Amino acid sequence: MSILRRRLFGLPPMEIEERLAFYNEMIDDRMEDGMSEEEAVEAIGPIDDIVSQIISEIPLSRIVKDTAMPKRGLRGWEIALLILCAPIWIPLLIASFVVLLSLYLVVWVLVGVLFIVTVSLGVSAIAAIPAAFMWLKSGNFAGSLFFIGSGLICAGLAILFFKLAVLAAKGVIKGTDKFLTSIKSSLIGKECAA
Amino acid sequence: MDIQLKRGLLDVCVLASIQSEDSYGYKIIRDIRPYLEMSESTLYTILKRLETGGMLTVFSIEHEGRLRKYYHITDRGIDRIKEFKNDWQEMISIYRFITREDNDHE
Repeated sequence: MSILRRRLFGLPPMEIEERLAFYNEMIDDRMEDGMSEEEAVEAIGPIDDIVSQIISEIPLSRIVKDTAMPKRGLRGWEIALLILCAPIWIPLLIASFVVLLSLYLVVWVLVGVLFIVTVSLGVSAIAAIPAAFMWLKSGNFAGSLFFIGSGLICAGLAILFFKLAVLAAKGVIKGTDKFLTSIKSSLIGKECAA
Repeated sequence: MDIQLKRGLLDVCVLASIQSEDSYGYKIIRDIRPYLEMSESTLYTILKRLETGGMLTVFSIEHEGRLRKYYHITDRGIDRIKEFKNDWQEMISIYRFITREDNDHE
């Protein structure tokens, strides 16, 4: 429990106490049921799994609020320093946020481009059908064959690009989740790493 | 099993386990285990979610020289179980429709 407490350092103290009390109660009840202390602790599950699940459940905004914000009130000189340095740190903060947001948007735009290419290829594949008929009507068999072939290639590429776009979208969502978890993990358990 | 489906099922399973009598964490896990696997962390999250949603209330009772938390279902929790049962009736009809050809072949 002391290891778990250290690993959760940085989370709101009430949250930590509530969780630890819950796990303690579980261990006590298991021991009452005939398990040894080691077995009861083991039954709770690996500590890494518990920590990662807890981290994933708590919103980043709450973790930032509880870890980045000082627990005590700011002293006079700290407030003065913050105000004096505001022309430096505020633009830097905004710029970092904008850069990160832009990068994230660029990634989503790339995913969007994949979907647009898919739609374009699909439309081309469909458009190739009447074109092939028109060429056939005018007696040009080679032209008609060319459009049928092009349509089939477009249809195949559309399927391929659709799968790629879906994979990319899923990857971005997963990546975002991992990125947020890594930020949360870096804020929590600092005492343990120290 | 689909994660969303399992999540919904776990919530109702926890509510069902405290429907007939108030229960505590370890007993809830023990009662549900034959039907669904659930870790302590998951149970904690579900209990918190249900408490926030007003579907259960928590109280402590002294047991063997320590405090043990008990969970009591509220009217909203009972309504959630009823809602689940109604939804499930529809699901069963859909399942029968989906598997009717399999049954015809047998």
